This record gives sequence, structure tokens and C-alpha cells, in this order.
Amino acid sequence: MQAQGLSRELVGTPPVILVSDVSLKIDPGSFVAIVGPSGCGKSSLLYLLGLLDRPTEGSVLFEGQDMNPLDGDERAQIRLASFGFVFQFHFLLPEFSALENVMLPMRRLGRLSQAQAREKAQNLLIDVGLAKKLDKTPNRLSGGERQRVAIARAIANDPVLILCDEPTGNLDSQNSARVVEMFHTLAHDQGRAVVCVTHDADVAAAADVQISMLDGRISETDIRKQ
Amino acid sequence: MSGQLRLLASVAARHLAGRRRQTFVAVSGVAVGVGFFLAVSAMMIGSQNDFIKTLIDAAPHIIISDELRSPPPQPGVRLYKGAAIDLRHYKVRNEVRGLKGWPEILRAVNTLPGAIGSPSLTGAITLRSGGREEALTIVGVDPAVEEKVSTIEDKLRTGRLRDLESTQGGIILGEEMAQRLGLAMGDVVGATSASGNSRSLRIVGLFKRGQTQLSSALGYVLLREAQSLLGRPFIINRIGVHLSDPYDAQPISRRLEARFAYKAQSWQERSADLLSLLVTRNVIMYSVVSAILLVASFGIYTVVSNSVSDKRRDIAIMRSIGFSEGDLQLIFVFEGLALALVGILAGWLLGYGLLAILGSLHFPIGGENERLPLDRSARQYAIAAAASLFSGVIAAWLPARKAARVDPVNILRGAV
Repeated sequence: MQAQGLSRELVGTPPVILVSDVSLKIDPGSFVAIVGPSGCGKSSLLYLLGLLDRPTEGSVLFEGQDMNPLDGDERAQIRLASFGFVFQFHFLLPEFSALENVMLPMRRLGRLSQAQAREKAQNLLIDVGLAKKLDKTPNRLSGGERQRVAIARAIANDPVLILCDEPTGNLDSQNSARVVEMFHTLAHDQGRAVVCVTHDADVAAAADVQISMLDGRISETDIRKQ
Repeated sequence: MSGQLRLLASVAARHLAGRRRQTFVAVSGVAVGVGFFLAVSAMMIGSQNDFIKTLIDAAPHIIISDELRSPPPQPGVRLYKGAAIDLRHYKVRNEVRGLKGWPEILRAVNTLPGAIGSPSLTGAITLRSGGREEALTIVGVDPAVEEKVSTIEDKLRTGRLRDLESTQGGIILGEEMAQRLGLAMGDVVGATSASGNSRSLRIVGLFKRGQTQLSSALGYVLLREAQSLLGRPFIINRIGVHLSDPYDAQPISRRLEARFAYKAQSWQERSADLLSLLVTRNVIMYSVVSAILLVASFGIYTVVSNSVSDKRRDIAIMRSIGFSEGDLQLIFVFEGLALALVGILAGWLLGYGLLAILGSLHFPIGGENERLPLDRSARQYAIAAAASLFSGVIAAWLPARKAARVDPVNILRGAV
């Protein structure tokens, strides 16, 4: 994935600049952390990369294709098939069990049968250490468990890019470390790209690339591992 | 249903299950609407059908009479067709009234599929009994045929139409007429026609009071008795036609009139004013009951609208997962659809129960203890369901559009 001269501005008086002229490249198998003070445009950049928002200038290229001309449904289809999201507040559907939450993207994509989706969701939850919590609804899971369910859901459709917004913001240090370890596995063992917006120094330190932002611009790029 | 639609339906079902109280209220609203729609429309359409049946049965479906819609042209005009002639002060030839060539007309009627023609002669006579006189219109009929064409037999309090054949000089009168003349079954009454013929007639039957279609000044005698009494042998002035499908009466009457020139009136033509009143009545009835269903759909709107507001976070996460705007709209339309469907089923049960109660009640109508005429046809159930589904889907679609327009970024940013 590539971002070329990406800008996002909110119309108003005066206009609010969220992201300004950001260009970057995310390679498969890399774990990228985006850091910076609150309000510097980290999350806005993540939403632009994740095709949840449209840039006012510049473009996002995914697998060489410019995403700007695509309509909402086409962008939704790319999110469904190729992206996975993990947010700070886990965002699980409260009426569905952990298993059903993980099955949700697979059922929407429709490539697997109901039974296959169930089996895959079970395996994913077992992999994140929730074998005994399959049928629990989110309100009966701890914060760390919910976040692990969210990660399992994010990788359910085998995405090439996982976008995380403060994934450890609500977790204790033990759970945070576990989540970071999962991101490492996803990037280095499974070859997926992980982009993580974070305030957490431990998460940032674990990343291969650390992008620092200030006032909507990239102020520094620190490439530590390749 | 495809797997994806099943998924959207299951999300909708979970949303509704999570809001049991509101769901119950909305379903109850639709159920009450559908139930009362069925009760009101069953009474209105039932009474209308009863009324139309009465209209149809009141007289033959088609009456061919010895009248013409427009007078025939004079011989001079017929002879010099298109000529500039003006005939004035000519002496009009008096023609004998009655249907000329009626056996041929009757044969033509009887060859129509499902049609039976009954010839009759109608005329005025005076009844005398004990110094009292009453004017009466007699209808001379062939009982064997007439009982197939009209419902006179059902209207008789005592006696049978066939008794006219078995009793010399028999007559069937209305109870009111008999009372006015101080007569009862089996009594003999003097009858005089305008031509001066007199007879003694014996009462062989009495038809019930309060029959709007049977005037108290109407009596039935045998056809040949009427022809003799009225001094018009071998003449009839009316053919009543009974059809297997009364709603064919209009086209058939037009064909008969075109062929034989005599006025052939269908029951619809005779009752045009009443039938137009029924249309107005139906418009009013459907407006009122539709308003009930519309109000019921407000409950669906409230539930779906609240659901959209409460589920903004879920909408945002589903958008981020890759659900399209259309998917989200469908989820909330499914919610409305589910509420409407369950409400319709409950409403059908409620309506069925209400109809059972209404059908069991007895009301004094025309001196008789009668039940309400109710239309319990599947058509009413289908109309109620279709109207509820339509209003339910519209009521859900309006807030569902809002769900599709939710900007996930705003929600994700402001999430707490």
C-alpha cells in the first residue's frame, strides 16, 4: 500500500487540517507504528489508509490501484476482503457471541460455508487463547479477551493489511504484551502488514518502522528492522 | 434466502431481541391495527355483500319488459329514410301491449349457458272482501319455472309457490295486505280487473312482512289465471332471467336488447344509484381502516429509528468490516419487516377471534333475530397483510436510510 501526497481537511472557518501531504509505503510483512501527540492526525491517516475516509488531496494506492475513483460499495468490498481493523474500544457486536463476532466478516464475504466459517472462527479464537470463551457475549469477557476477539475477527478473512487504532489503549501491561506479540506473529510469521496507531511506547518500540507525526505531517520515519 | 441476506436478517433479529419491550409494543400496534381492520372490513364488506345479494335476489337478474327505450319510427319515416319529410297530426295506431314473439325470446334466453327465463304477466286488479277494497298488482307466473328464477319461495311465511298449481284460483298475498282485508290462509277473496273480469281467489300462501323487494300490494297467481283475469290470453309482458353468474347480467342484457329491441334491464342498471353509494362507502371505510394501519406503522418507525440511534457504534464497526450502505439499510428494513410480519400474524389471530365473537352475536333485524353478515374471505386477510407490510417497510425504510448515511469515521473518533 502506498499513500501519495495525502491530505485531509475539514471544511469550516477556519478549515481544520487533519492530515497534510503525507506520503508513505507499507510493505507486506512489516509492522508499522504511527506515533505522535494527541490530535496530530494519526487516526485520521489510519482512516484514510483504511478507506473509511476520503482524502481532500492525494491518493491511496492499494495493490497498485488508485482507490479514489472507487465508490462506497467497492471500497467496502476491499475492506472486507483485504483489510482488518482493530480499535481501542474493541467494537464487538454486543448481541453476538465471540464466535459469531469472528464469523461475521467471513459470512459477509461468503467465500466459506457456514460450517467452514464456524470451524475457522473456532480455530482463530483457540489461537488467541479463547478456546473456553467461544459462546460468551462481549459483556461476559474481560477487556483483554474482547481485544483478542477483535483481533481474531480482524484476521478472519485473511487480510493483507491490518489497521489498528490504539489497540492496547485499554489494556493492562500483560494483555498489551500479548497483543504486541500477536502483531509480531501476524507480520513476521504470516506476512501481513500491520499498521498500528499508538501512544504506547512498548508497541511503538516493537514495530519495524516507527512513523512520527506532528500537526498532520510526518515529522520523522525511523526504520529499525527490515 | 442467500447466506448474506440470512446474515443481515440475523443481525436484525438480534437487534429486535435485545429490545423486547419496544418490539412487543410495535408488534402489538400492528396486531391491533390488522385485527380491527379485519373486524371493520368484515362487517362493512359483509353487509355490502349481503346488500348486493339482496339486490340480486330481489328480482330476476335481467328483466325483459314490453317497453322500448325509444319509440319506433313512424311508417312514413321508415319508408322514406333520409327524406325531408315532416309528418304531423297522424293518427297513432294503438298496439296491444305485451312481448310480441315471446316464445322466441324465451327460447333464446334458455339457450344461453346457465340462464333460465321465466315468462310472466303483470297487471292491476282490485281485491274486495267484506266491504273493503284494496288495489293489487298481480304477477302471473309458472311456479315450476319461477321458483328457479326468484327467491319468492324463501319469503313465504306459509304455503308454497307450487300450491298455485294445485289450487284452482289460488293467490299468494303479503301478510300486510291480508291483514288489511281481514283475511287468512285458505280464505276466499273477490278480484276484479280493469277489463271488468271478476274471479274468486283463494289464499294459498302469505309472504313475510318487511320484504322491501316484495311490496305489500303485490300478489302471485298462476300465469293462465292472470291472463284470463286481465283479459289478455296468451300474452306476457315480462320475462325474468336468472343467470348462474349474476355479474354477467349487464353484457347479456345488452345483447338481448340489441337482438329483440325490448328493454332488457340488468340488476346493476336497476340499482345503479345504490351501487354508486356502495363505492363511496367503500372509499370511506378503506380510508378509515388504512389510517388505523398507518398509525400502527408509527410504532415500527419508532422502534427502527431508536435502533438506528442506539446502534451507531455497531453500524460504524460493520462499515469498517466491509458491510455496504445497502447492507446496513437492509438490516433495518428487515427489522421493520419482521415487526410487520409478526404483527400481521398476531393481527390475523386477533381478527379471527374478533370475527368469531361478532359472528356469534344476534341482533334483532326486521323482526327476526339475525347474525351480522361478515365477510371472512381470505381477500380481507390479504389486504390487511399487504397494507401492513407496505406501511411497515416504508416506516422502517425512512430511518434505515439514516443508518446507511452514518459516517463511521465520526463514530470511531468519538467512541467512548
